[in-house]
Amino acid sequence: MMATLSADNLTELLIEWREGDKTALDKLTPLVYDELRRIAHRYVRRERDGHTLQTTALVNEAYLRLAGTKSIEWQNRSHFFAVTAQVMRNVLIDHARRRLYAKRGGHAQRVPFDDVSLEMSEQRADELVGLDEALSDLAKLDPRKARVVELRYFGGLSLEETAQVLEISLMTVRRDWRAAKAWLYKAVTSDR
Amino acid sequence: MTPERWQQVEEVLQGALDLPARERASFLEEICADDEDLKREASLLITAHDVAGDFIEQPAIAEDAHILLGESVGRDVGPYRIIECLGSGGMGDVYLAHDCRLNRAVALKTLPAYLAVDDARLRRFQREARAASALNHPNILTIHEVGEYEDIHFIATEFIDGQTLRELIGNLAVDEIIDVSMQIASALAAAHKAGIVHRDIKPENIMRRADGLVKVLDFGIAKLVEHESSGDRNTEADARIHTEVGVVMGTVNYMSPEQARAVEVDHRTDIWSLGVLLYEMLAKRLPFTGATRMDSLVSILEREPESLEVSDDESELQSLRFIVDKALRKDRTERYATADEMLSDLKRVREQGSLDIPSVTVGRGLTTQNPRFRARVIVAAGCALMLALVVGAITLKRPVHREANIVNPPSAALSTKAYLQMSEPEQLAFISEQEQRVSAMMGDRPVKLNDEALRAIKTYVDSYVSLGQPNDVSGEGLKATFSRAQTHVPLIARSFAARKVPVIIGIYLPVVESNYHSCYENTAGAKGLFQFLPGTARQYGVARDEMCDVEKMAPAAAHYIADRMAELGEDSQSLTLVLLSYNRGPEGVRNALRELRDTDNYQRNFWTLFAHRDKLDEQFRKESAGYVPAFFAAAIIGENPRAFDLPTPPLSTLADQ
Repeated sequence: MMATLSADNLTELLIEWREGDKTALDKLTPLVYDELRRIAHRYVRRERDGHTLQTTALVNEAYLRLAGTKSIEWQNRSHFFAVTAQVMRNVLIDHARRRLYAKRGGHAQRVPFDDVSLEMSEQRADELVGLDEALSDLAKLDPRKARVVELRYFGGLSLEETAQVLEISLMTVRRDWRAAKAWLYKAVTSDR
Repeated sequence: MTPERWQQVEEVLQGALDLPARERASFLEEICADDEDLKREASLLITAHDVAGDFIEQPAIAEDAHILLGESVGRDVGPYRIIECLGSGGMGDVYLAHDCRLNRAVALKTLPAYLAVDDARLRRFQREARAASALNHPNILTIHEVGEYEDIHFIATEFIDGQTLRELIGNLAVDEIIDVSMQIASALAAAHKAGIVHRDIKPENIMRRADGLVKVLDFGIAKLVEHESSGDRNTEADARIHTEVGVVMGTVNYMSPEQARAVEVDHRTDIWSLGVLLYEMLAKRLPFTGATRMDSLVSILEREPESLEVSDDESELQSLRFIVDKALRKDRTERYATADEMLSDLKRVREQGSLDIPSVTVGRGLTTQNPRFRARVIVAAGCALMLALVVGAITLKRPVHREANIVNPPSAALSTKAYLQMSEPEQLAFISEQEQRVSAMMGDRPVKLNDEALRAIKTYVDSYVSLGQPNDVSGEGLKATFSRAQTHVPLIARSFAARKVPVIIGIYLPVVESNYHSCYENTAGAKGLFQFLPGTARQYGVARDEMCDVEKMAPAAAHYIADRMAELGEDSQSLTLVLLSYNRGPEGVRNALRELRDTDNYQRNFWTLFAHRDKLDEQFRKESAGYVPAFFAAAIIGENPRAFDLPTPPLSTLADQ
């Protein structure tokens, strides 16, 4: 499926996803996951060489690669960013949960040990799961702020890119970000 | 909190954050008025904002890129930051890591999680690794630390920048070969003096640095996955380990005969393995090999390697051949007694160009000195109809040509001729020959069967052959039975390998029970290929309606057998064949096993049990007398599909898939 997905399909799927079709995300996930791996790979390599880099640039590149040059439609690209952030969140949280389950879940259910051996520390898994829960709570109170966080933290977008994707002003993103960050920090650090 | 309330709180928060810190308190007092709750909520958030620092400022990918890559690169294990994965295997993964405290490169070997859940295993891992870390020798990899971080167990060792002998093995000149062998022998000598046996000497565990220094890796670690003694056993953890099917064991090519037989090993097992290495370096091929794992094991146990080709004037190579021969004696008492002795022979070859070889010891002719390996077989017979499984010896294999002590050398004409086309004397001769082969597969070398025993087996062969014939309405045809076996054999073999229970010949049971159907249920309620009772199955994690699912049942059966073997105490290691009835329940099986031990101290093998059955009590005789010839009949058919016009390959060859 991944290989055969054309630029048109991608556009279609992104539209379906925007319009709330849940199956669209399932179809997009493997595609995006592949791209995320590519991004991660470059990220690790550059980090090792002592460079930092903008994730946005990489996601952008990924989108261009997938969509082809012919359909650089800004809206679709925004959706692609959003989908990427969501997939990233899902992947990490899934991993973190399995990691914690392998540690604490005991014997009742089979956990594929090898999948969770070394990759994620327990502390990191705790952090991620805590953050994910808090973020879900925040989404109920203030969906836009939750999206800002998702795009920035899981999608790796800058404030400016986030503003463009959400079609809000940079100022609003800044204010959303600081409030959301405070809210989340309080949520994950207090006993809940 | 409601969204509306949050809106209110946020307004206060944002307002306060827009102000310099010192003005916020009065701002809160003013704007919140007497809403204490609002004030408290907002001030908590202000504090959170002030102390949150870098929280979520770095995108997740900065920290978790390695998760996406499915690697551990970039993460820290205690003081070690993982730089790169160097390799992974059944024994765990090896990483290049950076020791952040001492600022040096290390190799970090991690114990796979499925091994680490077993406390006993873990203790042994730590004990072995710590013992090995006490070894201080230039040719032994230095162990820096044996540790644990969160739930990762690891060994940190010096990092060797070099090539493994695997990479080098085809391209070594003779003087390099001698040099490498000497360094290995020197490492072994030091370890053996400290009471540590390596147990897994193979090219992958030897590294050579660019400057020529050889390092032997992983001392003592192989013990970790060996069959454990009962005192060391943690059943619950064990169950978890062993239900994880597919623990892949490494190559068998460097195993000593005693390892192949799964008996106790000592330092001389390392001498054998070094002999194999030396042979391979010289000949550029392995001395013992086979198309399948089983073939290789049989080769180790039974065959002499092809002699190294050396012309008369090459005294150096002749001497090396002598050393190889002496290291590769099947009987370990005939090998070099110590690695030091082997080392000094190698040294003499290097320094003098040859050894003073007494002419009588040159050459092979060792066949007659092969130890007669006696398979210890335990038969715990069930009172009910059904035997559930035969777990065979490690040497289950495809036919190989037998050596000197075969009573009736096989006749080529017989093995290719269809059984039904043979005259009766030919059929008996065929059965006799094949019975010997099957016994050899189980690790036994029986003397010739008496006529009564042969005829009993023949009765079963004949009855199987007639099954499914037009005039027979009772059973399914042989073809159907054996084609079903084709899918079951690899699955069962994997399950049992994972439990370290030697290879299976249990697949012949469907044939033993000629009316067997894949979900046959007997009157006692026992069901499926393994004939568990539902209660037993449940105990081993299989629900009643899953009992006919071989995929579920095979690991459970392996687990069950391993548990009963463990209960045999110290004798469990010498078990090479178990024949068990599951539907008799663990207690019954245990008792039967005890009874056997008390009766003849396991000295009996499968067929002698049959031939000398008067030594056992009446009930046992009644129960087991039929199984034994029936089993052999099934095995003979399964191993000779052509003689019986079956479309399957010899079933034992499937066990390696």
